[in-house]
Amino acid sequence: MKDISNKIRDIAVKLFQEKKIDIFIGWEKGALEFQTRPLIARNEADAAKLVFDEYAIHNLATLLLKFRDGGEKIGIVAKGCDSRSMVRLLEDRQFQRERLYIIGVGCPGMKDPLQAMAKHTGLKKINADGNGVAAKCLDCVQPNPVIYDELLGSQQAPQQSGERFARVAALEKMSADERYRFFEETLSKCIRCYACRQVCPACNCRTCIFDEMKPQWVGRENSTTDNMMYHLVKASHMAGRCVECGECERACPVDIPLMLLNQKLIKDVNAFFGPYEAGMSYIEGAKPPLSSYAEKDPDDFI
Amino acid sequence: MKVLSKAKLETALNKLNQGAEVFLPMQKAQESGFYSWKLFQQGQDELMLDALNVYLPPKHVVLPQTERMYSIKLEGQDMKIEQTFEDASPRVIFGARPCDIKAILCMDEVFLTRGYEDSFYKCRREAITIVANACYQPGPACFCNAMEVNPVEPAGADIIIRDAGEAYVWETKTPKGEALTSQIAEFLEEKSLALPVAQPFIQDVKYEGTAEKLKKMFADHIWAKLGEACHNCGICTYVCPSCYCFDIQVKMWGDEGYRFRCWDSCMYEEYSREAGGGNPRGDGIERFRNRFLHKLEFFKERYGTPLCTGCGRCIVACPAGINIVKIIDEIKEAELHA
Repeated sequence: MKDISNKIRDIAVKLFQEKKIDIFIGWEKGALEFQTRPLIARNEADAAKLVFDEYAIHNLATLLLKFRDGGEKIGIVAKGCDSRSMVRLLEDRQFQRERLYIIGVGCPGMKDPLQAMAKHTGLKKINADGNGVAAKCLDCVQPNPVIYDELLGSQQAPQQSGERFARVAALEKMSADERYRFFEETLSKCIRCYACRQVCPACNCRTCIFDEMKPQWVGRENSTTDNMMYHLVKASHMAGRCVECGECERACPVDIPLMLLNQKLIKDVNAFFGPYEAGMSYIEGAKPPLSSYAEKDPDDFI
Repeated sequence: MKVLSKAKLETALNKLNQGAEVFLPMQKAQESGFYSWKLFQQGQDELMLDALNVYLPPKHVVLPQTERMYSIKLEGQDMKIEQTFEDASPRVIFGARPCDIKAILCMDEVFLTRGYEDSFYKCRREAITIVANACYQPGPACFCNAMEVNPVEPAGADIIIRDAGEAYVWETKTPKGEALTSQIAEFLEEKSLALPVAQPFIQDVKYEGTAEKLKKMFADHIWAKLGEACHNCGICTYVCPSCYCFDIQVKMWGDEGYRFRCWDSCMYEEYSREAGGGNPRGDGIERFRNRFLHKLEFFKERYGTPLCTGCGRCIVACPAGINIVKIIDEIKEAELHA
């Protein structure tokens, strides 16, 4: 990975020198050992700080949204999941392809800096093996970038093994009452910090329904009702858009299994409207199933 | 000295629980926070008194995330307040760390002083007894010593306990504390135990002078650099033991409903949005700046102490790796532009 770090740095410096970019988005090392954090570099000096290591877990595509209204040309590093999110942003016309210079990196699976921090500081007991691959990466089906201008490192094998969506299958086997109780319990923990929305590259609405006050669609009480409303509305907005990067679940400070809902919808969108997997390749003008309409769309659930 | 043997702790808690709701640091499944002893499940949950701290602070005991204030009924053009929900039921925060108690003292300043008295807060607060757990072993993210907190002699505690291995040394500080001590007097023993030795802090944070310097840095371009990676989520404000911002909203069904207060976060765009649609902090960086200025400058100016208590939770929880210690360092190092 040191080698990849060096290459990323060299490419970024060169892009700045040749004036091909205004901004480069990658990672830098934070103050503590496992704190690798997103870096928005604006010049060669910033670019010297770029690193790529086992904690480069963040989906950088989310940061592109900060620049969607500008004209800056942006160099950016993309693992498999970041690149799929970028495809989705291009499909949604949130970004123009010509503004991006994408450096793809095959991802071997990342460690979770938040878990490492929590374990190290003793503020939270972590049951998962803190030295292994992050939980979110274990479901990864596409570790290699699907869109790039330059590719670094070697192709990586997907982490996902065994039955895909096994967690969803277990949930589907529950009775409706059992399932309700499960969600009631897990969603009652939500503190409504909205980190799952803020870190999500698919949450690109300019005005979010949860921020609207007139009318206020979802109440701000921390109650099971309002919490459920928040999570169900958010999850259904993700249908056909979620690329399974798992950032929401990683960021959640109270360990809500948010990807369960998202994976259920990935599974259903594929079953009803598929074969479909969000953001797997960029075809100009392509739309996700729920952004288009066809006569033969299933409607027996209506 | 009086001591409470760890073997008798649970029996003592059961006793206290008869007269008050007792909140303690616990691990519940993957979660750690201050939960009611009533919810403690033997065999599943774990008491975390001997751990450094827990992820979610006891803030919700003094300022619940959602608090019903009063119920209302519309009668033609008039509105009648049917019931107010001031809550004076006795509560105990047991085993809170000095950083979390300092945070409650900061909230006391806001809700009870300078000519403003919040009756809901006051009512609840007066019925709370605080048992502090003195800190001798700082963690890697801790820096309370730099934020005017004394980890071994915490201010604001009604009782201080000190971990002496087999037992907690029990020191009663206030009349409220005496009342609690007398309730469990039967479990306390007279014994001489060696107190733990305070270990040095791992981080060396130099906060002095930050507030004064920040006065000149409102328009500094350092904020764009420091906050660019921030997602403007509310994790830092919600896991923070001292962030107290709230909103007051209403729920109505036809002619009836209630007003409630709920935590809000300065990180949200909606927080500073005005009725006319304008927003003085419409940009994410402006909201980021506001949070750190409030923590490190404004609060210190108004109340004489910073609003950060050095617990380190935001450093651990931030999904973008933003570190308040690093920010203090960068502010101290920054060159001022005329």
